[in-house]
Amino acid sequence: MTVSLADLPKGHEFAETRFKLTPKWAAGYRAAVEDETTPPSTVSPLSLGAVAFRALLDQAALPDGAIHVSQELSSFRTVEPTEGVVVRARIGSRGERAGWVLMGIELEVAEGSGDALMNGRATITFPSPPDQPE
Amino acid sequence: MTQRIAGTRNYAFGDELPPVIKVLNQDKINRYAEASGDHNPLHTDPAFAATTQFGGTIAHGMLVLAYMSEMMTKAFSDAWLMGGRLKVRFRGVARPGDTVTARGRIVRAEGGRAVCEVECRNQLGDVLVSGSAEVAIR
Repeated sequence: MTVSLADLPKGHEFAETRFKLTPKWAAGYRAAVEDETTPPSTVSPLSLGAVAFRALLDQAALPDGAIHVSQELSSFRTVEPTEGVVVRARIGSRGERAGWVLMGIELEVAEGSGDALMNGRATITFPSPPDQPE
Repeated sequence: MTQRIAGTRNYAFGDELPPVIKVLNQDKINRYAEASGDHNPLHTDPAFAATTQFGGTIAHGMLVLAYMSEMMTKAFSDAWLMGGRLKVRFRGVARPGDTVTARGRIVRAEGGRAVCEVECRNQLGDVLVSGSAEVAIR
């Protein structure tokens, strides 16, 4: 059963996930976002961001009421839609205030050799989980 | 005198980037859910979403952000694809039926990069996303 992000502490590292990008997947993404500008020979930085989120959501469910607060993203080179990529993610920060958790998740998409293709940080907020009984 | 920015198709500080305009509907949100693997019912299940604080489905933030990315690709091509940076806050939600417009303006150069103020608004002028985006300039 998939755990909830709400149950994970600061510093939690998600298991590395490998994806093989395909032209079919890239075309599906471009169609979904109606991107008429990115050439078919490459993938957009945001599509790599979507891959990173997919890897994250495969391992931990978003808590009910979760809201995406902010997003940072940097790309380092063009990526072809046939490359193999590795996604790494960790919970970089977790704080609680006024009944809401604010969580920063660090994301990286790298090539097989380990060099980063894209990295970023997603900040989400969600209602604090109820206290667990001792 | 206008200061041209090298490596940016002759943009100058203060120039507006070509906007990207998209009309959202539930089908497009569902297609993004398929492509991204994010099947949160807040985005895809109108009956569930009606019970939430939003009162109906909303688009994925990353879908709205993709429109901003397309605007940057349109303006800067490879400079965006191979070395762009984005830092934004989500300030409102986009719903089926909304017209989302991504806009940007070049505001300064910093450390060999052109810095743009960027935002997405809906048809009412509500800000959905705002922040900054950067590309390297040669």
